[in-house]
Amino acid sequence: MQNTPFRIARWIMANRLVTLGAAIALTVFFGLGLRNVELRTIFSDLLPADHPYVQTFKDHPNFGNPLTVTVMIKRKDGDIYNIETLNKVWNMTRDVDLAPAVDHDQVLSITTEKARYAEATPEGIDVQPIMGDHPPRDRADVDEFRRRVEMSPNARAFLISHDGTATIITATFIERLLDYGEVFQYMQALVERERDADHEVYMAGQPALTGWVYHYQHQMLWIFGITLLALVLSLAVYMRNVIGVVVPLAASAVAAVWGFGFVGWLGLPIEPLIMVVPLLHVARSFSHCVQFIERYCEVLHHVKDRRKAAEISLGVMMVPGTLGIVTDAIGLCLIAVAPIPVMERLAIFCGFWAFMLVPANVFLAPLLLSWLPVPRNILKITGRAGDHGVHVMIRDMLRGLSTWTFGRRARFTTAAVVLVAAFSLYQTMHIKIGNPVEGSNLLYDTSEFNVAVAKINDHFPGLNTLEIVLEAKDPVNPKRVARQAHTIETMARIEYFLEKQPVPPVATLSFADYLPEANRLFAGGNPKWLPLERDDASVGAAVGALMFGTSPKAFLHVTDFEQQNGTISLWYKDNTQATVDQAIAQARAAVDLVGADHPDFRVRLATGTIALQQSINDAVEHYHWIILGLLNLAMFVCCALAYRSIVAGLLLLIPVNLSNYFLSAVMVEMGIGLDVNSLPITAIGIGVGIDYGIYLLSRICEEFQGHRQYDSAILASVATTGKAIFFTASIMLLGILPWYFLSELKFLADMGLLLVMVMLINMIIALIVVPLLVWLVKPRFMARDDLIVGESVDLSAYVTDDNELKALAAH
Amino acid sequence: MHIRKYDAGYSRRQFMERTAKGVVAAGVLQPLWPLIANAQDTAKAYPEELRSLEAYTKGKVKEGDVIDASNVDIVKDLFDPIAYIQIKEMGRRVRVAPVTTDITKLYNTKYLEATVRNAGKAKFDATGNVVTQDGNRWIGGNPFPEARTGIEVYANLTLSWGRNDQAFYAVRDWDISPSGNVAYQYDFCWVEENISGLVNDPNKPYVEDGFEDMLRFQSVFFTAPNDVKGTSFLSNWMYDQTKFPDLFGYLPAFKRERRFPTNQRFEPLVPGITLFLSDAWHAGDPMLTWGNYKVIETKPHLGVTGGNWHGDRPNWEPEVHGGPKGQTFYEYNVEFIPEVIVVESEPTGYPRAPVGKRRTYVDVRNMMSVGCNTYDRRGQLWKTVDAAFGRYEKGDLSVKDGNGEVVWSVQAVMCHDIQTNRMSRFYLADEIPGGYRCEWNEGSLYERYLTIQAIRRLGST
Repeated sequence: MQNTPFRIARWIMANRLVTLGAAIALTVFFGLGLRNVELRTIFSDLLPADHPYVQTFKDHPNFGNPLTVTVMIKRKDGDIYNIETLNKVWNMTRDVDLAPAVDHDQVLSITTEKARYAEATPEGIDVQPIMGDHPPRDRADVDEFRRRVEMSPNARAFLISHDGTATIITATFIERLLDYGEVFQYMQALVERERDADHEVYMAGQPALTGWVYHYQHQMLWIFGITLLALVLSLAVYMRNVIGVVVPLAASAVAAVWGFGFVGWLGLPIEPLIMVVPLLHVARSFSHCVQFIERYCEVLHHVKDRRKAAEISLGVMMVPGTLGIVTDAIGLCLIAVAPIPVMERLAIFCGFWAFMLVPANVFLAPLLLSWLPVPRNILKITGRAGDHGVHVMIRDMLRGLSTWTFGRRARFTTAAVVLVAAFSLYQTMHIKIGNPVEGSNLLYDTSEFNVAVAKINDHFPGLNTLEIVLEAKDPVNPKRVARQAHTIETMARIEYFLEKQPVPPVATLSFADYLPEANRLFAGGNPKWLPLERDDASVGAAVGALMFGTSPKAFLHVTDFEQQNGTISLWYKDNTQATVDQAIAQARAAVDLVGADHPDFRVRLATGTIALQQSINDAVEHYHWIILGLLNLAMFVCCALAYRSIVAGLLLLIPVNLSNYFLSAVMVEMGIGLDVNSLPITAIGIGVGIDYGIYLLSRICEEFQGHRQYDSAILASVATTGKAIFFTASIMLLGILPWYFLSELKFLADMGLLLVMVMLINMIIALIVVPLLVWLVKPRFMARDDLIVGESVDLSAYVTDDNELKALAAH
Repeated sequence: MHIRKYDAGYSRRQFMERTAKGVVAAGVLQPLWPLIANAQDTAKAYPEELRSLEAYTKGKVKEGDVIDASNVDIVKDLFDPIAYIQIKEMGRRVRVAPVTTDITKLYNTKYLEATVRNAGKAKFDATGNVVTQDGNRWIGGNPFPEARTGIEVYANLTLSWGRNDQAFYAVRDWDISPSGNVAYQYDFCWVEENISGLVNDPNKPYVEDGFEDMLRFQSVFFTAPNDVKGTSFLSNWMYDQTKFPDLFGYLPAFKRERRFPTNQRFEPLVPGITLFLSDAWHAGDPMLTWGNYKVIETKPHLGVTGGNWHGDRPNWEPEVHGGPKGQTFYEYNVEFIPEVIVVESEPTGYPRAPVGKRRTYVDVRNMMSVGCNTYDRRGQLWKTVDAAFGRYEKGDLSVKDGNGEVVWSVQAVMCHDIQTNRMSRFYLADEIPGGYRCEWNEGSLYERYLTIQAIRRLGST
């Protein structure tokens, strides 16, 4: 009587055309979904949706200028007060107004009519643009321009650097019309055109960052192509036969079509920043196929019949193969626990794709093998072609390694593993959260964008802001909350408190800051009129003066269009964790001082780059451990059920957790903190690690069924399945490593590096710790004859025979 | 059997041929102006296909029909590009009204009389300003009723905005956000008095008294809500169209006026309104501060020429519809206009203007604009100013001016920035907060509303 896997295997092989037809039908269906596949970065999707800061950001997206590009023009050999530089600023400003999707009402520089100075004259308040109807033509024009700048406090604070060497142009874009790629292309061309021997031009802002990411997408495609080529080449070199290349390629392509087609049908955009994970799937698919082909070749060597060999291989590999893939897939699905939309989409996309490796790798691969020609190098692949060749070399190396996992040598290995585990656990306690850089963590410190951010931060209050939002309880309050005296007073109190701190923000700004100057001017110009009376009538008058003949768009950075909500912007010198912690602590203290709840508004923490960075770090810190716990639970349940043994579950969890902690230790040593990349890495790492463990443990079980000796079973398993693990890990490293070296996107490179480390560590630990634990524990489940991996099957027909084992032991 | 003398494509070919040759001449079968001047039926100037929408569309759309997203494509070429987008994509609809063939319904009576009386007397002087043949300021009516160039068309639009010598408009305004909510609501009065080119009395084409260099005085003052009540603006227009108007603002809280930069024409007066000074009347700036006027094409059009005064509704308020919350657009009655001239011009006198060009659609019968689209400097559509002009009469109801004539004036305006999707719509109300009511040609408004002292006084009440 045969067990279920073998009955399924027999049915599939008896109905090969039906099975193939079903696979083709599915491929056509998902293939149609490919039309809807879209690669798109949505930055807000990188943020944890349930975090209060992110909710504040989403409720008030205009605060913190997410749609604003800032261009800084810096004179290299002096200040900007010269004809050439001011003409350059004038021309650039006019050209920025030509940018696609720019809001023409929100282009601001020292040359626009919105940059004004005001004088109180006997005829009334005379408000004029700082620059006339043309850029300065002679020295007198320049001097007049300088005089007017001196009369415009806002221009001095926010448009011209303190040292007078730099000025900025800001442009806000209309979200509905905004095509980041198009805007970036236009603006970057402008920036490059205007750089010359005397001027440096820098561009920053969220649209610029998105543009850079889009820019690197083309590069991403190149790396993707190179990686795929490397994977195929390595397959060809390693397998040196038709089936070794065609089967992995076909099965992986089918799974890829299903994976991409699925999200196409769901209409979910794919985040380019996580494209390394789909590539990992291709590599995983290759590795599953290689494991399968190696096993097929071994069985074929014994049974000499393609179809029979495919059927037996399918029967034998179905449970460990499926289990390995399912644990991978569950791991990926668990990433969705972190409520970060991009991670949720990653979980759906990659989780589904991972599940689809079961039909594609476990079932489609044997089908194809049953039709494709018998490889001529079957003896080489199974290591039976004599003592030479790469396969034998790897086998011998692994054999040597395996001898440290049983017998007397195992004591030393045990001691070493315990030491490594203790060290890793200790180091993990010191791991930090977040990897702050000036600008964006998606790009390298030396990237043009991050350099621009640093330079702008050097010359102006900068781009690292924390926004404290005063939110109207009634969004259509007829009195307009941001214009009320109590609101303005609360803004001023918060700013005053923060500016008095021992380490205050570099700058603060709110709607309240604009009112005294407007009040002074309209009251006749005497500085005694700067302070506002604390009543609605006086504040309303000052607001009226400020908004007179002006669009509310000019103040969207401090209050919304309807002037119901306001923000207090706090600039900080950098975004290191120390600064972030201090900024948030100070902001909390300020809110405590004024109280969060007021009759017409509530004070909300917080938005801006600093708050959003902290929200990601909070989510990573929180969900990293939750995901780790859930992964352990899921893996334990799967493995314990598959092997019908709690000991087997524990046995498999120990090495993957050890790998994970060891990875953390390595990260601490390398100075890398946990960040949003770490969430999928943990899940993928544990999925891969458990996969290796399952393959190896299953093989040990099979070998144990034949030899009834733990040491012999370990020796045979590490030399055979260990070889496949070694190769598959290598092939995945080959697939991922180029990302680290080639990607100019730091996010992808970091993820590539972490994945390489996690693969390597998992491979080594699986090959050492799983056999070691089997030897130390000598689990009884291996002796059972009802194991799902070997149930009711006479495995002795195609396990390593005794002669071969003796030959192995003799080396 | 009815035999059509001209086939369906005749007028289209005529218009295309004229555009290709750069010829502008109102009327297809015969010149239009003699028919107007002799009080004859203007329909005679056009073939059958240009006499009604039903004939033009071969029965697909007819009078009484509503044009919305479902059928706008049939008449796409009869709308300006923004009106088409509004109808096709934003839920706007318009109702097709019968064609007005009586020319007297398309004019303020006195203005028509002056136009006929003074036809042929206008020319441009060396500075580009309109003068009579003997070099004096213009004496009333359209200076170029048979306009053949873009600048002639614009002279007709600019020299008398509202075509009444004195007008006091009580206006209710709503500013609609992209989400369809009301972001701001204002009540204000728009006051204008012409100094040159007066039409009420043929013997008095000018206000003398030391105003020889002036074209008009105009002011705006807000009456609600409270935070802007009393805020006012005064704009003094020179006759010389190369000069920028003086612009003063007054804030009652400070009892102090502010002088604005004279060329600050592309900013709203108060927060939330999308209408810039430059947009007013489709000719908000002195005409010689713009340039490169050219006629792009002549064509039939669907636009407002009357039938949009709602004297039977409370406070004359039109119905609203469309947009995300069903309150973005007024429902206009539009008519089939057999011929409009499309004039393009550029803000050459404004080196910092965000506008690249504007295209104005002018009904050749009364030389009044029925729509205007502005484009940004990239050539992308930006804003429309869609104004409804017409007679203040509906059934037995009507409003008369100081001359005892039924008022012909502006009735409602929609100014839509389609890039940011912000709409300002306002209409002339029977009465607005503060007790102000509309009036036309009831005598001089100058001392009451059009001086610095007047706007100060208005702010303090």
